[in-house]
Amino acid sequence: MKQHNTAGPLELDSPTISTAPHTPSRRPWSVGAALGAIGYGYVVVVIGFLYLPILVMALMSANASPLYELPFHFTIHWYQALADDGVLKAAAFRSIEIALWTTLLSTILGVMASLAFFRYDFAGKRFLQAMLFPPMAIPWLITGTAMLIFFFAIGIGRGLHAILLGHVALALPYVIIVVGARLRTFSPELELAARSLGASGWQITWRVTLPAIAPGVVAGALFAFAVSFDQFVVSYFLSDPGETTLPVEIYSAIRKGFTPEINAISTIIIVVSMGTMLIVSRLYRFGGEQ
Amino acid sequence: MAEVNVIKVSKQYGESRALDDVSIRFAEGGLYGLLGPSGSGKTTLLRMIAGFVFPDSGQIRIDDQPVERLPVERREIGMVFQNYALFPNMNVADNVAFGLSVRHVDKSEIKRRVGEVLDLVQLGSMHGRRIHQLSGGQRQRVALARAIVTRPRVLLLDEPLSALDKSLRVDMQVELRRIQRDVAITTVFVTHDQEEALTLSDRVGILRDGKLIQEGTARELYDQPASEFAATFLGDANILNGRLETGGMRIDDGSLIRFGSRSTASNQTKCAVRPEKIALARAADGPVPSADNRLTAQVVHHVFAGINSTYMLDWCGQRLKVHVQNSGDDLIPVGSKVTLSWSPDNTILVH
Amino acid sequence: MKFALSSPPGRPLVRAMTLAGPAYAWLLLAVFLPLSVMLFYSFMSDVPTSGGNWSLTFQNYLTFFDEPLYRKLMVRSLGLSAQVTLICTVLGFPCAYMLAKVIRGRSREALFLLIILPFWSNGLVRIFSWNMVLRSGGVVDWVLNHLWPWPVDTDLMFSYPAIVVGLVHSYLPYAVLTAYLSLQAIDDSLIEAARSMGAGRLTILRRLILPLAMPGMLAGAVLTFVPVVGAFMEPRLLGGRKGTFIGTVIEDQFVAVFNWPLGAALSFTLLALVLAILFIGMRLSRRNDK
Repeated sequence: MKQHNTAGPLELDSPTISTAPHTPSRRPWSVGAALGAIGYGYVVVVIGFLYLPILVMALMSANASPLYELPFHFTIHWYQALADDGVLKAAAFRSIEIALWTTLLSTILGVMASLAFFRYDFAGKRFLQAMLFPPMAIPWLITGTAMLIFFFAIGIGRGLHAILLGHVALALPYVIIVVGARLRTFSPELELAARSLGASGWQITWRVTLPAIAPGVVAGALFAFAVSFDQFVVSYFLSDPGETTLPVEIYSAIRKGFTPEINAISTIIIVVSMGTMLIVSRLYRFGGEQ
Repeated sequence: MAEVNVIKVSKQYGESRALDDVSIRFAEGGLYGLLGPSGSGKTTLLRMIAGFVFPDSGQIRIDDQPVERLPVERREIGMVFQNYALFPNMNVADNVAFGLSVRHVDKSEIKRRVGEVLDLVQLGSMHGRRIHQLSGGQRQRVALARAIVTRPRVLLLDEPLSALDKSLRVDMQVELRRIQRDVAITTVFVTHDQEEALTLSDRVGILRDGKLIQEGTARELYDQPASEFAATFLGDANILNGRLETGGMRIDDGSLIRFGSRSTASNQTKCAVRPEKIALARAADGPVPSADNRLTAQVVHHVFAGINSTYMLDWCGQRLKVHVQNSGDDLIPVGSKVTLSWSPDNTILVH
Repeated sequence: MKFALSSPPGRPLVRAMTLAGPAYAWLLLAVFLPLSVMLFYSFMSDVPTSGGNWSLTFQNYLTFFDEPLYRKLMVRSLGLSAQVTLICTVLGFPCAYMLAKVIRGRSREALFLLIILPFWSNGLVRIFSWNMVLRSGGVVDWVLNHLWPWPVDTDLMFSYPAIVVGLVHSYLPYAVLTAYLSLQAIDDSLIEAARSMGAGRLTILRRLILPLAMPGMLAGAVLTFVPVVGAFMEPRLLGGRKGTFIGTVIEDQFVAVFNWPLGAALSFTLLALVLAILFIGMRLSRRNDK
């Protein structure tokens, strides 16, 4: 699609809102320009709304008042208390460990499944692809409780292993979709060429396909990590009271009545999650450009 | 239909001049082609007439009304886009009716006019079809119908035939001319294909780097290009460098090339000859008319292409091209020395 | 181009199933089987592991129809979902439009990223962060007190509006993202064509842009409606006593009351209702297409 370096399709004679150089318009004012300005302001307000509570929470995590009262006095007291809080720390490490395992397992399984869809046409393919959606579409409340019932019924019960089972299942559809999208930009001819040169299936996958789709795989892995690390509902139902993940621990703490330590750990979590996704977006975009 | 007058229009985008003091007049009811390589400004000019772009300086008048500050919605033009831009959420009839419904035309009147115009483009049976069900040629006709049903003052077409394949293109050229004659709307189209420009238009304007290089009928542009660029862009040409003297142009090997009454000398330093205007003669052949210009060259390459043959020749280190109609003789072998000759009337002085 | 990869060439189905098998086996084990078992559970009279006798019964489902409380809560949940979905769609569309059609260049990428990022942080933590803003002594209270001449104590926590605000905050990025994807697919030349035929802004919006963006907006609506219906964490954290919904009741069955069969029955009733609504919605949108 040609990008015209002119007023956007709905703007009358107004400069397109961008950082690209534009030609000055002759009219001092126009409806189009006014609408554009209002619209831009609206977007800023929406972004403000989205970040308001997060920023406030981050601010409060460094505020001395244990009752979250202003005026603001800077302190890192709560972060220090956090470092001493054995329960929260243990929960944090558990969350990270589970997230890492989830990432590993769901990435491997997901990439394999994606490759299957990419390479082969077979009976039931459409069905299998459609089956990726129920896990994502059904409310986690229902999936979580169902897992609870089932795991008890077959003797697995609750606990970290159950949580891992659940997390991988939740992350898989995302990995498959993300890697699948990346595979769509990969030309099947490359695999054929490798085959004509005598490479075996495993070699082709390892030396041709995977390197080419690497950014997609990394994006999928980071997705899986985020899904697992942030997961609350399913972890909630599958947790053993003594050994829970971080979000579940935070939830209990909030219900009991909160301390600002929760602000501190929450701020850390948000920074980690958003930071991870920032990296994903960079990688994914650069991968997509190729 | 209306006359469109573009008067000394300029447009700058940052460092580059998209249009540089361009003036051109499109007479009522005519079919005009704007021809040029990409980046020449032809599309910018078209979009400027439409009203998507505003000139930095200059005027655009439709029916002697200045419109250069009017937005496109108020200019009453019709436009066919390169990708047709048909609305996927509406069927054929609704697409065509859109311009009329926007003007709050009466429903029965809309129906009548839509029917009329779809018959005109020979899609009378396709009212209810959805856009994705149409072929490329059909989409193009819907786009055309949609643009003319509102009886615009000017019809603008952006590379109307470039998305079609070869055979379809030829058919559509005929169709377009027929429809344009029928509705008699002043029509301007943009193309980079010189053949299209030649066959479709009454008059052609050649643009390059934002400037209007030359304007005229197809015949005029082909027979009397004013510049080397025009001569080589529209058709093939052999260019010889030289200096004007009385009686002709003195070229590099010392020969004097004569030109006829159609050319006027005005400090040109080059002359052009079309490949099909040159005759080839071997030493064994008979004498060449003495009035003709004459050059000796050597055959470097020849290609047999059925109707005619093309020869590439070497003359003083320069490649020359000659088209010869096949008359049953054998091809002149590579390496032979031949005499090129052409009538002075076919020498074109170019800048 | 599809082909069998390595030698000896197996049938495509076999190769595909080898690759995709593990992932789907996992999904089977963790999602589909549990859901089936839960369906079975919903017909039980008692939890089997308690050692008591159990039999198959419709009682759990009948309870839903007998007890007006459940029906009321279901309606309340559906109503909440509808409100949140509507608000998100309405607020999100102009934002998406600005990003897709008006703002260009680097700004667009940056703003888009800003809107999507919070989406990838921990939902629990984001809900919790509203605490700081809404409670007595929080940001809203503080700002109002500074603007208003009289002392005011605004405590918006533990109220229905708080729940709505929190949910809208959580799901707004969905609405923006899905609408954006649809809008961005609308070629600029379509809008230019409409303008060339004399259509004004409102007409273009009504007849061209909204119809073409509808699929995306519907997708966003579904992605919001379904999870919110089953929400329990947000109501509890932001609504407290006032935050009783069908989601919280179901959660209770599993975590407090231990009446798993009833919880299962309620879950499936909820699921059935949601699917019915989605189905009707699809039907309606199909009819609108013609």
